[in-house]
Parts: sequence; structure tokens; C-alpha cells
Amino acid sequence: MILRSVIMVVVVVGILSSASQALRFELQSGHTKCISEDIKSNSMTVGKYHVVNPNEAYPLPDSLKFAVRVTSPQGNSLHTAEKVQTGQFAFTAAEDGDYMACFWAEDHSPQIIMTVDFDWRSGVQAKDWSNVAKKGQVDVMELELKKLYDTVTSIHEEMFYLREREEEMQALNQATTSKMFWLSFLSLFLCLSVAGIQFWHLKTFFEKKKLI
Amino acid sequence: MESKWGKIWGLIGLLLLNFVNNVSSLSLTITKVECVYEIVRSEGDIVSGNFVVVDHHIFWSSDHPGLDFSITSPGGDILHNLKGTSGDKFSFKAPRSGLYQFCFHNPLSTPETIAFYIHIGHIPNEHNLAKNEHLDPINVKIAELREALEAVTTEQKYLKSRDAVHRSTNESTKTRVIGYTVGEYMLLTIASVLQVIYIRRLFSKSVGYNRI
Repeated sequence: MILRSVIMVVVVVGILSSASQALRFELQSGHTKCISEDIKSNSMTVGKYHVVNPNEAYPLPDSLKFAVRVTSPQGNSLHTAEKVQTGQFAFTAAEDGDYMACFWAEDHSPQIIMTVDFDWRSGVQAKDWSNVAKKGQVDVMELELKKLYDTVTSIHEEMFYLREREEEMQALNQATTSKMFWLSFLSLFLCLSVAGIQFWHLKTFFEKKKLI
Repeated sequence: MESKWGKIWGLIGLLLLNFVNNVSSLSLTITKVECVYEIVRSEGDIVSGNFVVVDHHIFWSSDHPGLDFSITSPGGDILHNLKGTSGDKFSFKAPRSGLYQFCFHNPLSTPETIAFYIHIGHIPNEHNLAKNEHLDPINVKIAELREALEAVTTEQKYLKSRDAVHRSTNESTKTRVIGYTVGEYMLLTIASVLQVIYIRRLFSKSVGYNRI
């Protein structure tokens, strides 16, 4: 009896809260909006998008349709869809770089502004935890801790990446400093040599003219 | 008996998993005003995030006033307002649940790109559960641990964006140093050659001896 009521409560609340949290933005008809994300190579990426219904009471009007295109940093199109109201895509990033998802809404005679709900997850967040849970009757707490472990690993990797970038920046700054040092010597040398050439040239010129 | 409680904890755990809210770090190009919306499910959730203007070279001339950033609560009051920034972190406790609006305003007409990241963290507490469930304190601790790790991840994304900005500044500094120095050398040489030519002309026979 207790179990049944608990299940009821959990299922009801679960359904109410199961709409995945995502960011929303407004898309004006005739305009394009692009969102890009820096994704590391070999990380799994999952994206879902749908139009938000402005009126909960009525079904979604057909006029609210948009086109989507997801491109890799090289320019290859990873996912395209025309005149859709909802969709999803998933890919494994082949290289590091900026992956861009562009949405555009066609021109409509009264300008309509539609709200698009876009959920883009990559790396740790994209992993399908429900499969892991199903596989071995895994205890929920163990699942949570597995997730935390994955998060910690990704933090660790990110720290390595930041450290590497720091080193590169330091090398760049060193190179700039040494270049400035040598260039200032070169400019002094150039200045003196130009003055010397001027002097020598004018001296021979005046000697030839028999003025000196 | 054991399996029944196991199932209940499993269901409650799955319910708690629904409350993991997260959004990836994204880049957006702003022409005039761009707003991003996020749903905060329960009051008391901590909303934290950061944004950085990626085209940092616009600030070098010190003419650019910077971007304006504002956070509006579902009630309509402005929680956070920043004028003329090139990037910032923010964190606040949501006073109520609903749709929060994060708006960026670009005062000039040239489009600017920003990289932003928003995270909404929820820690389950006694108030949210129905009467016949009770909260296992370890789940609260796990949620707190997860939130702490998410805070580290948020900070890392901020550092990564700032590092990218600094790198572009440094690379441009190096190019400009070399460019200006070489330009300076050429100007010096041209000026001295012109000087010599002018002096030669002053002394040339066609102009006339007695002028000097």
C-alpha cells in the first residue's frame, strides 16, 4: 500500500519534472541565430531542440517552423533539418573546435517571434546514464558516485588543458620579449648606419662638386 | 522487505536525478539585444554563471563602452545589472521558481561574440518532498558534492574563455610589434633617402650656385 502510493507520487512528480532543462532563446521570422560550442575531440555530443508552445491550451500552430543546421569547425554539415518543430541530433566530435548550431525561421508576413528550447550537452553530461543503470541493477547511489567520478576526471583533464595553454602563452610572451629586445638593437644599428651612409654620400658628393 | 525498500530508494533516487540541471558553455553573437531564458524549477536554487566577450580587440581603442548584462526574475524585477563589461561572473539564490531572463545588450552596431555558461544547482531538502517520503541525508551530501564539482567546472569554463582572450591579445601584440618596427625602419630609410635627394638638388647646377 505504502509502496504503491510512493510509486504514484514519484511517477507523477517525475513526469512533471522530467522535461529536460535547457536554454531558451527567441527566434524572429526571417532572422538567423547561431550558437556555437567549443567541443573536445572524441567527446559524445547530444542535442535536442523544440519550439515552445506559446499557448498551453491550444496545440502547436503549424506556422512555427524553423530550419536547423549543425556544422563542424571544418564546415561540414553534421545535421540539417528544414521546416521542423522538434528534433534531435547526436555525434561524436572528430576534432577539437567550435561546433555551431544555426537556427533560422522563414519570413512570415506578420513577424512572428518563436521561442526555441535548445538542450545541448557534451562530454560527461551527454552520457546515457539510464543504460548504465539498467545494465547491472546498479544501486542508485553507486550511479551518482559514478557520475561524480566522471565529472572529476573531466575536471582533471580540463586542468591539464589549461596548464598546457598557460605554457604555450608563456612561450609566446618570451618569444615576443626577445624579439623586441633584438629589434631595438637592430633599430639602433639601422639608425647609425643610415646616418653613416648619408654622411659618406654627402661628403663624396661635395668633394666631387669641389665645394669641400 | 528488502527489495521493496530498495525499489523505493531507487525511485526516489531517479527522481532526484531529474533535478540535475546543467547547460553547456556556449558562444553567441550579439547584434543588438540577445536574451537567453532558463527555467528554475524550485526556489532556493543557486544560479551561477559567467560570460566573457571573445572579440577582446574592440576594447583596445578604449572607445568601446562594453556590453550591458542584466538578469530579470520571473516577477519582472532586475536582479543583476552590469553596464560596460567585458566579462563577469555571477551567482545568486533564486528567490522564486520560474523563467529567468539573461539579457546582453550591445550599445554599438558591430556584432560581438560572447561565451557564456549558466548553471542552476539544486540541493534537495525536506520541504520539497511529499509527506510519506523521508530524505536520506547521504543524498543531500551527494547533491552538495555534485554542486561543489559543478562550481569547479563553471570556474574552469570561465578560465578557459579568459585564457582564449588573453592568447588572442598576446598573439596580436606580437604581430603588431613586428609590424610597427619594420614599418618604422622603412620610414626611417625613406626619410633619409629623401633628405639626401633634397640636399643633392639644392646643390645641383641647374638650380643655381648662388642660391646657397
